[in-house]
Amino acid sequence: MGFNEIDIALIKELQKDVYLTADPFQRIADTLGLSLDHVLEGVRDLKERGVIRRFGAALTPANAGFKTNAMIVWDIEGRDGLKIGEIMASHPRVSHCYIRPSFEGFPHTLYTMTHANSEVELQGIIRELCTKSGLKIFRILRTIRELKKTSPVYF
Amino acid sequence: MDAVDRDILNIIQSDFPISPEPYAEVGRKVGVSGDEALERVKKLLAGGVIRKVGPFFDAAKMGHKSTLCAVQTPDAKIGEIADIIATYPEITHNYLREGDPNLWFTVIAPSEERIAVILSEISQKGEVGPIHNLPAKKMFKVKVDLRIKGD
Repeated sequence: MGFNEIDIALIKELQKDVYLTADPFQRIADTLGLSLDHVLEGVRDLKERGVIRRFGAALTPANAGFKTNAMIVWDIEGRDGLKIGEIMASHPRVSHCYIRPSFEGFPHTLYTMTHANSEVELQGIIRELCTKSGLKIFRILRTIRELKKTSPVYF
Repeated sequence: MDAVDRDILNIIQSDFPISPEPYAEVGRKVGVSGDEALERVKKLLAGGVIRKVGPFFDAAKMGHKSTLCAVQTPDAKIGEIADIIATYPEITHNYLREGDPNLWFTVIAPSEERIAVILSEISQKGEVGPIHNLPAKKMFKVKVDLRIKGD
């Protein structure tokens, strides 16, 4: 995807810490010497193109009441991975869903991430995923500790 | 966290208004002033409920490669390996999980070569391995939207 100079300047500014102010986009406009409308249009355009996949707040799940977070890895048991992936992804409580390579001692290739309030809720979500997908072989890799969580820096 | 905080969080996770005064808009939706909405978000950030407010870019559309890596790390070495991992800005997430392998981290870098260099450095500096490099073959969903319900 091509970016022109103004895109790049805008993307750089958008990554700065300006969102705890009443008028963050005006501040970005002032820094770049652009009009407010130009910045707002630019951001909407980046969202439409999918360059910005989400604009908003990221929470720390454990501090927002989601105490039981788990990556559940599935053995797709010879089934159509593309179909099963879509089924898993359609569950509202699955936040991430990918197919990844297997490796020695680890035949699981379908990865789903889920954030739950409790172990009971987690087990309920897993039961629903089993029912929806028909898969039976999985491992629950609960989060023990978050050691690092940051955002990448572009340009 | 009260009902207004929950309403604000449920709105700004996915729909932070791209408008001249975003908090005034959020405030109108939840029935408080823009100033109060902003103050509440500041408190939620200070309290660690919110980690960040801003844009989340699609790494691939930004021309970057991303991957998930896993490495089995003995308990006694977890702190050391976590410290090595922390020095790389390209590594954005690192979690200790149940099972073997137990350490799972994501790398986002301009090229696969750079990712390979990072993994080889961690392996050498930390004397751990093998590090399993597991780039997605297919991505179905990335949508973290934690709906917060009342008590």
